[in-house]
Amino acid sequence: MKWSLLVTAACSVLFGFSWQVRNTRAEAPAETQTPTVAETAPTAEEIEYFEKHIRPLLHQRCYSCHSAEATKVQGGLRLDSRAALLKGGDSGPAIATAESGDDAADASLLIEAIRYEGTSYDMPPDGKLPDAEIALLTAWVNRGAPFPVTEIAPLPTEANIDFDEGRRHWAFQPLAEPALPATIADPWSRGRIDAFILAKLQEHNLSPSPAADRATLIRRLSFNLIGLPPTPEEVEDFVRDDSPDAYDRLVERLLGSPQYGERWGRMWLDLARYSDVTESWLEATDNAHLYRDWVVKAFNDDLPYDQFVRRQLATDLMEETGLQDLPALGFLGLSPTYFKELLLPPEIIKVIVADEWEERVDAVTRTFLGLTVACARCHDHKFDPISHQDYHAIAGVMASTRMTDRPMIADEEYAPVAAAKAEVAKLTEQIAAKQKQKPVPVDEIACLQAEIDDLKAFTPQYDTPLANAVVDESLHVVLAGDNPQSGTKLEYRPEPQDLNLFIRGNPNRPGPVIPRGFLTVLSTGDSRPFRRGSGRLELADAIIDQAGHLAARVIVNRVWQMHFGRGLVDTPSNFGRLGSKPSHPELLEDLTARFVANGWSFKTLHREILRSATYAQSSAVDPAKEAIDPDNRWWWRMNRRRLEVEPWRDAMLAVAGTIDLSLGGKSEGAEDASNHRRTIYLTVHRREVSKLLQLHDFPDPNLHSSERVDTTTPLQGLYLLNSPLLIDVGRALAARLLRDFPNDPAARVREAYRLIFGRAATAAEVQVAIDYLAAAAPPNVEASAGTPDPSDPQVPAPVTSTAWERYSHALLASNEFLYID
Amino acid sequence: MLGAAQLFASENRTAGSDTTGAGIHFPPRVKRVIHLFMNGGPFQADLFDPKPALEKYAGQRPDGANLRTERPTGGLLPSTAKFQPAGQNGVPVSDLLPELARHVDDICVLRSLHADNPNHGPALMQMNNGTILPTRPSMGSWFLYGLGSENQNLPGYIVLCPGRPVRFSVLWTSAFLPASYQGTYVNHSDLKPGKLIPYLKNETQDLHTQRQQLDLMQRLNAMHLENHGRDQALEARMASLETAFRMQTEANEAFDLNQETAETRTAYGEGHYANGCLLARRLVERGVRFVQVYYGNGQPWDTHSKHNESVKNLCKDIDKPTAALLADLKQRGLLEDTLVIWGGEFGRTPTSENGDGRDHNHHGFTMWLAGGGVRGGMTYGETDEFGFRAVENKVHVHDLHATVLHLLGLDHQKLTFHYGGRDYRLTDVRGRVVSEILT
Repeated sequence: MKWSLLVTAACSVLFGFSWQVRNTRAEAPAETQTPTVAETAPTAEEIEYFEKHIRPLLHQRCYSCHSAEATKVQGGLRLDSRAALLKGGDSGPAIATAESGDDAADASLLIEAIRYEGTSYDMPPDGKLPDAEIALLTAWVNRGAPFPVTEIAPLPTEANIDFDEGRRHWAFQPLAEPALPATIADPWSRGRIDAFILAKLQEHNLSPSPAADRATLIRRLSFNLIGLPPTPEEVEDFVRDDSPDAYDRLVERLLGSPQYGERWGRMWLDLARYSDVTESWLEATDNAHLYRDWVVKAFNDDLPYDQFVRRQLATDLMEETGLQDLPALGFLGLSPTYFKELLLPPEIIKVIVADEWEERVDAVTRTFLGLTVACARCHDHKFDPISHQDYHAIAGVMASTRMTDRPMIADEEYAPVAAAKAEVAKLTEQIAAKQKQKPVPVDEIACLQAEIDDLKAFTPQYDTPLANAVVDESLHVVLAGDNPQSGTKLEYRPEPQDLNLFIRGNPNRPGPVIPRGFLTVLSTGDSRPFRRGSGRLELADAIIDQAGHLAARVIVNRVWQMHFGRGLVDTPSNFGRLGSKPSHPELLEDLTARFVANGWSFKTLHREILRSATYAQSSAVDPAKEAIDPDNRWWWRMNRRRLEVEPWRDAMLAVAGTIDLSLGGKSEGAEDASNHRRTIYLTVHRREVSKLLQLHDFPDPNLHSSERVDTTTPLQGLYLLNSPLLIDVGRALAARLLRDFPNDPAARVREAYRLIFGRAATAAEVQVAIDYLAAAAPPNVEASAGTPDPSDPQVPAPVTSTAWERYSHALLASNEFLYID
Repeated sequence: MLGAAQLFASENRTAGSDTTGAGIHFPPRVKRVIHLFMNGGPFQADLFDPKPALEKYAGQRPDGANLRTERPTGGLLPSTAKFQPAGQNGVPVSDLLPELARHVDDICVLRSLHADNPNHGPALMQMNNGTILPTRPSMGSWFLYGLGSENQNLPGYIVLCPGRPVRFSVLWTSAFLPASYQGTYVNHSDLKPGKLIPYLKNETQDLHTQRQQLDLMQRLNAMHLENHGRDQALEARMASLETAFRMQTEANEAFDLNQETAETRTAYGEGHYANGCLLARRLVERGVRFVQVYYGNGQPWDTHSKHNESVKNLCKDIDKPTAALLADLKQRGLLEDTLVIWGGEFGRTPTSENGDGRDHNHHGFTMWLAGGGVRGGMTYGETDEFGFRAVENKVHVHDLHATVLHLLGLDHQKLTFHYGGRDYRLTDVRGRVVSEILT
């Protein structure tokens, strides 16, 4: 039981306490009173000794971390009053009492620490005290640590969370039924959404913008729902179609497209920190795409969100779902894992394992609940009613869940495959051993190899894919052998485990056992603790049943965010007190209530949002309104939005006519310009994100990510000017234009505008093109002649592109192509 | 508790360009940093921390040997290095580094570094990202976040390695900071500038036709802007295209070692590390905020066997270029406001592994600093008699980071970024500025 914190990766909430202000109570709480020995006032002699020898020493050596003057008191320990010494820190009293005479020092943690005996809690941390000072402190403790009585405030106790008070936070309240504002009668309002939006606009002396034109609308809708531009024919059909249901039919067509799931599934994959490539130290894990494809299909099938959540956390424990859903477990099964060197002692490995559990708690709670529960690993959450115990109740679920590959066929069907694989492994080892013999027994190896080939060929379903999944098994980090140097063993046991509370987040400082369970503030009745296996299914059920109002608000807000570029709550994964309040609380309540009532259906929610007049607004900026609401917080217009890297690249390939729209399957190289699959199928490599993705704000796949950040950098500019992707799509597009309009340059330009921007070119734009093409230098043969080394940048590259290719490239690199109105 | 940085930082920020930083907290002593990274981990008692007791007790296992490192080790293995007092203050420097010894008056040797984990991956991450987790921004991205970039025509944070360091891009990730703050990795084993920076050259046209093409792009963008009203994001993208265009020339120039005089080339010597040092000088001279030079591909300083033999070659490789870098910076007046950091991700054991190797040791190791705001010609902190662990004036990696940020004018407790419900900093919840070494 130590008070140093050398190895814990403590979480870094930086808000100091203002203890002196908060704890000016005249009386110390009972537990800070001297526990065993009556406090007797020190004698004058003792005071003199203390002030002369001890206080300066404590002041110089200890008080920067262990007193009221410390910016942050370390280890909960203060050394500036006798009561504080006796109360001690996280690890217990700092000094033993003097009853036992000379043994008091030996029994005191304070003295143990300053003796620097090579333990992990040596103090002070920057070096051992001189022997004389150690002797002074030792003698002082043996004399009973006499300390002048002071006025210093006692240590604060850990804030006890008032959960009832906590439940009053808006996001934890049951769903409200707000009254529909009178603006529903306004002719602008097409439905309930508009009524709420319009009411707020009027409140702020704003009015909505006119509807966008139909060409803009179909472009907006297409990118929003399927991540691809509409074809010129689709644009023209829609613009011409004046039947009243034209818009609804368009929405239905797009929602019914298989590309819808790719677009919206990718949103989910950001939250799930999806990676195609998992850590090299894991078993064979080349089937990550099964999870990605499951997510895409779930969106396409409009799998109700409550089911979507349950299956990702616990489909293997649900009776109503089958093996085809097993890849859903990839949400947990593809979690980041950190390297564990098992030669190291368990104390170090325990911290790494605890970090992994923390990451999973973080991903699960931020994704599904919009709460930052991982903040409570080291202490009660500083802002939200989430206790240190709550953290461990959920972490216990993760500690009872093992990441593993699982077959998607029945156990009895897989049993022979497993046996065959074990046999193959054994034979492979034998071959390896024989290959080391001299001379190499070629014939024997051939025999063994033939056996392997037979096993693979004749075991039915030998190559059945294994999904990155999880199974109920608890992980225990134990000493590998008998002596402390024998390294670490990771033991998986079938029974679940409840965790000991990690004092200050450190798994090597166990506190009381915390039963697995749900967050107190969101629990109703006496549903804790979890009892079935790891508790994954109970956790999933609790998220949907007990916290359904919160979970539904969070996902409805994410859907709004995807449609409008910002959520009603603009901290989409933090609905706690530090998160933003909703800009339109009534609207969020109203939408959420209907989302739940409509069976948690995404597509129903899309329809409602997409049919609103709010969504149909133009993105044009009205300076008068902008002066009132520059951030467009009240939605007086549609936001102009920059395409994320996926639809941007996909759209280039689409207009060039080279896109490969085949669905699903293994990912493919991201840097390969000849790979024309949609960007969702480019390899996401957790430890080495491809340049294309890295340069274009793709989120770090090690972390849950709730929104894309737009950055604009010169390296993106270089990509735009010089990357093989842009050059290739420019070339393909030029070829397409030349093929379709061999003799009419102006018609070619007009077609380019139809394809790329979904609109007609203006006369000025055609003229700009014609002028450019006329002036663009013909291939400069002389400049390229005799180039010694074409990769030398001092030497200009030979101009091998045509003016039309460079023109097409320029259109694709334009702002208009990247930004959607 | 929230500093100026917080005003700038938020999860929902839409970053425009990457040119502005979060702002300094107090007058900076240095504007830029060069980090010479001896990946693999050098042994402290070979270089700046003489341990005569290794000779005396060679082959024996003293108490301190029971400190946990990664692998089992045997008895004490003496270093072959001989130490001479160097400089005005007689700082002991090993005879493995004769050239560098001449610059010791500019160097502050930190003998008491310590870290939390003896594996390369976690230790590399701690040295670069402040924690052993792969989920935190690297120190260079914190620098850029805090200070912005000085030269808009070059990336502000460049990582040079002749090959790939272990763990690779996570070591210069921006994690949850905006992507524009990530490091730009440059494999300088092939010095042709076109190969150094991604997409620096268009393979299908020359600069003349590209200028025409860019003019066309800007014309189209201007027409688009006219139709859409003032829009900062659109304008920023137009500006960044111009920067990119200029970068094609400027980066070529910055990375072109042929522009150096024969005298300078000779001073630095030959080899990837020498080239890295010289490139670093060219880059900081042009306002690049942070340049890391990894010694080599993989982890060359990781001497689990034949340690003494390897270390001679490694030292021979770094001695002259490092000395030349310090001299060159000084002579150009750059050392005043540049910080040079030298060191590995950890040190090595005084005891032997496999007879003639040394295992990782994070309990105590040496790094050094030189440049603006740092006292030269001194040592700070001590390891124990054998060099197992830091015992006096210990400097944790967090303390090093706090000190480097301090020199850059940044308060490590105030340089925060709000993400996932917490305010994060490079130094987690720790870190102390080692003020004793500052001028």
